[in-house]
Amino acid sequence: MTEKENTTILRTRSWFYTLRTIFGREFRSYLCTPFGWVILGCAIGLQGFWLQAVLQTMSKATGESVMFYMLDNVNFWFFFIFIFPLITMRSMAEEESHGTLEGFLTAPVTTTQIILGKYFASLLFYIILWTPMLLYPWMSDLGNLYTTLRYGIEPEGRINYTPADWFGPISILTISGSFFIALGILCSSLTRSQIIAGIVCTCAIIIYYFMGRVPELWGEFPAAPAFHYLSISEQISAFSRGLIDTRPLVLYLSLAVFTLALTKRVVDYRRWHR
Amino acid sequence: MSMVTVEHLHKVFGRFTAVKDATFSIDKGEIVGFLGPNGAGKTTTMKMLTGYLPPTTGTASIAGYDIIDKPLEARRHIGYMPENVPLYEDLRVTEYLEYRARLKGICGKSVRQQVGWAVDRCGLEPKRRNLIRTLSKGYRQRVGLADALLGNPDLLILDEPTNGLDPNQIRQIRELVRSLAEDHTVILSTHILSEVEMICNKVIIIDQGQIKANDTPQNLTRNLRAAGRVSIEFKGDLEPVVKELEAFAPVKKVIVEGPLPGGWHHLIVRAEPGTDTREKAADIIASHHFPMRHIYRHIPSLEDVFVEMTRKD
Repeated sequence: MTEKENTTILRTRSWFYTLRTIFGREFRSYLCTPFGWVILGCAIGLQGFWLQAVLQTMSKATGESVMFYMLDNVNFWFFFIFIFPLITMRSMAEEESHGTLEGFLTAPVTTTQIILGKYFASLLFYIILWTPMLLYPWMSDLGNLYTTLRYGIEPEGRINYTPADWFGPISILTISGSFFIALGILCSSLTRSQIIAGIVCTCAIIIYYFMGRVPELWGEFPAAPAFHYLSISEQISAFSRGLIDTRPLVLYLSLAVFTLALTKRVVDYRRWHR
Repeated sequence: MSMVTVEHLHKVFGRFTAVKDATFSIDKGEIVGFLGPNGAGKTTTMKMLTGYLPPTTGTASIAGYDIIDKPLEARRHIGYMPENVPLYEDLRVTEYLEYRARLKGICGKSVRQQVGWAVDRCGLEPKRRNLIRTLSKGYRQRVGLADALLGNPDLLILDEPTNGLDPNQIRQIRELVRSLAEDHTVILSTHILSEVEMICNKVIIIDQGQIKANDTPQNLTRNLRAAGRVSIEFKGDLEPVVKELEAFAPVKKVIVEGPLPGGWHHLIVRAEPGTDTREKAADIIASHHFPMRHIYRHIPSLEDVFVEMTRKD
């Protein structure tokens, strides 16, 4: 190839082009390595395990949707608290320990683009993890339909759902996830060890979770409304009933933006003070 | 036109000063050899030029863009190959290079074209479908080099590009750098001095964070203390020969190295740099009718320059 051909290189200065490139690579790194599939497999296994527990409960008590019983459940918290560190712990820590951050920061790429690219890739992967669970009502419909068509009987114990039953859980899981994923990336940017990043992130999420439980321990003291406001368990309970509230949206989106801004500061700081 | 301008660059890590007050400039089209002992500050200086490490004080600019104020513009002009090439192990060679090309803002069909071009130039063709984690050190180095070449940047900063390669690969890389020299500016650091002598038209020597020399290899060797040194072996009386040699103007000192077996003497004549005392010395010995079996004028190499500049004693 001659130098002449080489001089006409198509170039772009688009900020979003770079962001999309990083996002694409990060998202593919979940799906093109065993890492993502192991998490996905475990998630489906866990969700299936607790679905049968939920169906047991539902056979005794009715009145709420299957989504409510799925999310208002002890099993859910085991899953919910540990899934964020698993998804995010390697994002920045791995770049730093492999030295690939150097490759990023010597190309015309800003720290913001790196962090946002990783953030949206992790968030999308996180949302994908929930899709099997969100498909359960639909799958149960399909199952019922099959029974009707194959055996000609109308099955009992149909799982009833309304659009709100779906939309509520999807929105609260996405909204709160947008903050917890950001928190995980912040923890990952603090260290070059994925283990430390995972431990710190788990602790942070557990502390946040128990902040919402403070009124249960201390009763309704004057500052209790603040803790109710932060309570992820109460929010999830409300949303999975189909009660959509904008306050958590404001809370988690502003926390996510703040955390990501902090992450940018941390990454720059660690580079400047090496 | 100056491609790189470095002014009073200073880098401190805690209590350790890695680079002290470095000032130099590199013109367009120069191939600069960046030399220094281990830990001298070569890599730190290079990392500062690429904008990865911020300097403690001082400034540098690449193609007129300040590395602090306009880091993205400056980086668009740089192709950087780090010392231990960091790579994503889970990608294939072409996937990795395509990703890097996009990060550098190359788009559309140029991505494939550029990757193909870099793969060709770096001899990666047989390994283009391999996963990076399966590559040997030499091929990883080449992936790093191919990465630096993507987008045809004006300035290439190569940190020990031939480190860990076999002699054939070193030769290939040398040819590659030489062929790039036509329309690129290259800064390369290396420990292999013969390489620098062969391809560089400028040498910067750094030791303990300080720039010790910044000149062409010819100028550096010309002014060297070792430059006028002549060694002689002859048989006969030592005293008159030494006396007559010392009387000759450019000669600074005659050193007698212990007697050799068979009555031979070994003399080292130190003279002014750039002079040749061989003829005179041969005349003197011939006038005494002493037999002489060896006379040699030391050709100063970059190695001598390096040793002289960075010697601790």
